[in-house]
Amino acid sequence: MSQIIGLINYGIAGNTHSIKKAIEKAGGSVQIVNNADELQKVDKIVIPGVGSFKDAMQELKNDALLEPLKQAIQSKPTLGICLGMQILSTLGFEYGKTQGLNVIQAEVKPMLVDAKIPHMGFNQIHVVNPNKLLAGLENEEFYFMHSYEVVNYTDIIALTDYAGHKFVSAIHKNNLYGVQFHPEKSREAGIGLFKNFIAL
Amino acid sequence: MKTRIIAKLDVKPPFVVKPVHFEGLRQVGKPTELAKKYYEQGADEIMYIDIVASLYQREILLNEIEQTANELFIPFGVGGGVKTIDDFSKLFHAGADKVVINTHAVQENPDIINQAAEIFGNQAVVVNIEAKRWDNWWECYTDCGRIQSGRNVMEWVKEVEQRGAGEILLQSVDHDGRRKGFDIELAQQVVEKVNIPVVIASGAGSLEDIKNLIEIAKPSGVAIASLLHYDQFTIKDIKAYLMCNGIEVSK
Repeated sequence: MSQIIGLINYGIAGNTHSIKKAIEKAGGSVQIVNNADELQKVDKIVIPGVGSFKDAMQELKNDALLEPLKQAIQSKPTLGICLGMQILSTLGFEYGKTQGLNVIQAEVKPMLVDAKIPHMGFNQIHVVNPNKLLAGLENEEFYFMHSYEVVNYTDIIALTDYAGHKFVSAIHKNNLYGVQFHPEKSREAGIGLFKNFIAL
Repeated sequence: MKTRIIAKLDVKPPFVVKPVHFEGLRQVGKPTELAKKYYEQGADEIMYIDIVASLYQREILLNEIEQTANELFIPFGVGGGVKTIDDFSKLFHAGADKVVINTHAVQENPDIINQAAEIFGNQAVVVNIEAKRWDNWWECYTDCGRIQSGRNVMEWVKEVEQRGAGEILLQSVDHDGRRKGFDIELAQQVVEKVNIPVVIASGAGSLEDIKNLIEIAKPSGVAIASLLHYDQFTIKDIKAYLMCNGIEVSK
C-alpha cells in the first residue's frame, strides 16, 4: 500500500514547492494539505516553515489547522523542518512571546553566538542518539538558514557546532522528528533523509 | 564556518550573460542548463539576477525561475526588478529561497526591507549592493552600475542590517567582470561593519584571488560568475584548491 505524505501548506511564504520536489525525488508521494479534512487522509506529515514563529502560529490558526495538526501529530509520523520544527515547542520568542504547538517541551530563542547571524550555509551534524531518520547520514553536511534555535535538553538526536556554540540540529520524540536544517536544500544527503522518513 | 561557494548567473532573458565591467554583454548559456551544471559541480548555492528587469521596468520572468529551481536541491536566490511584497511572494512560490533586492530599496523605498523581513524572515531577504569606489569612500550604484544613488556603502550596509536584511551580496562596479581580483579593502570593511553574512562578488580571475579574498576579508560566501562561465575552472576545482590551502568549504 502506498503511503501519502501530507505537506502542510500555511502562510504566504511557503517553501512547499521545494520540499515536495525533494520528497518526490526520494520516491515519495506528496499531498499538499490546506485544511483539516485533507489532513485526515494522509499517512505522514511534513511541516515546512519559512518566516517568523509568530506569523506561522497565526497562519495555522487562520487556516483552522492548529488543533487538528496537534491531534494528528500524536499518531502520524511527522517531520518538522526549520521553523516547522521550532513551532512544535512550548514557547517562541521571535517578535514577542508566542505559544507554540507544545508537543515538545522546549523553547525557541535567538542563537547566542559570537559570529554572523543568521547561521547560513552547509554545516555538519553530529548524531548523538542513533535513530532511523539520520541512519547512514551521520556526519553529513546539511544546509542551515536560521537565527533562532530550539533550547531542548531531552530529545536531541543531533547537534551542530557554529563558531564553538553547540545547538540542537535534530530532535526525536516517539513518532515525531524535527530538523533545524533544510534537507530539501542539502543535495543528496537531504534526499537520503527523506528516503529514511518514507521508510519509517 | 565553511565559506560558501556560490555560482552567480547574471541573466538577460533568455540567456545568462557575462557583463564586462557591467556593460557590454556576452551570452554564455541558458539559466536552467548552467544552474544545473554548477549544482552538479558542487555549488553551495545558485544566485540568479535578472540584470535588465529593473532597467526595463518589467517584472522578472517567473517561468524561467520555476524551471531553473526545479533542477536544484540547494538554495536558490533570485533578484532583479523586485519592488513589492507581492514580487517577493511570487518569487518564493516560483521556487526562490532568498530574494535579492537592490534598486527599489536604495532609490525609493528602504522600508520594503523591513516589511519583507517580518513576513518572510530575515534569512530570505538579501540586499544587493553595487559599490563604486571614489577617493576615500564607496558609493551605492543601481541598475548594474548605471545609476548613482549618493548613498555611502558603509552607512547603507549598517542601515540594511538594522532594517532586517539577512544577508548582503556585495558587488564592485569597478572590479566586476574584469577578472583581475576583488576589491578586498571594500569586502573587508563591509564584513567587519555588519553582523549579518556577506557574500562577495566581482573580480575572481584566478583561484588565488578567491583564496586571498577569503583569507583577508573572511566573507561568508564568494559568488563566482566569469571564472565558471568560461569553463576556466569548475566549482570542484575551486573547492579542492581552497581545501588544499586550509580554507574550510563544504564537500
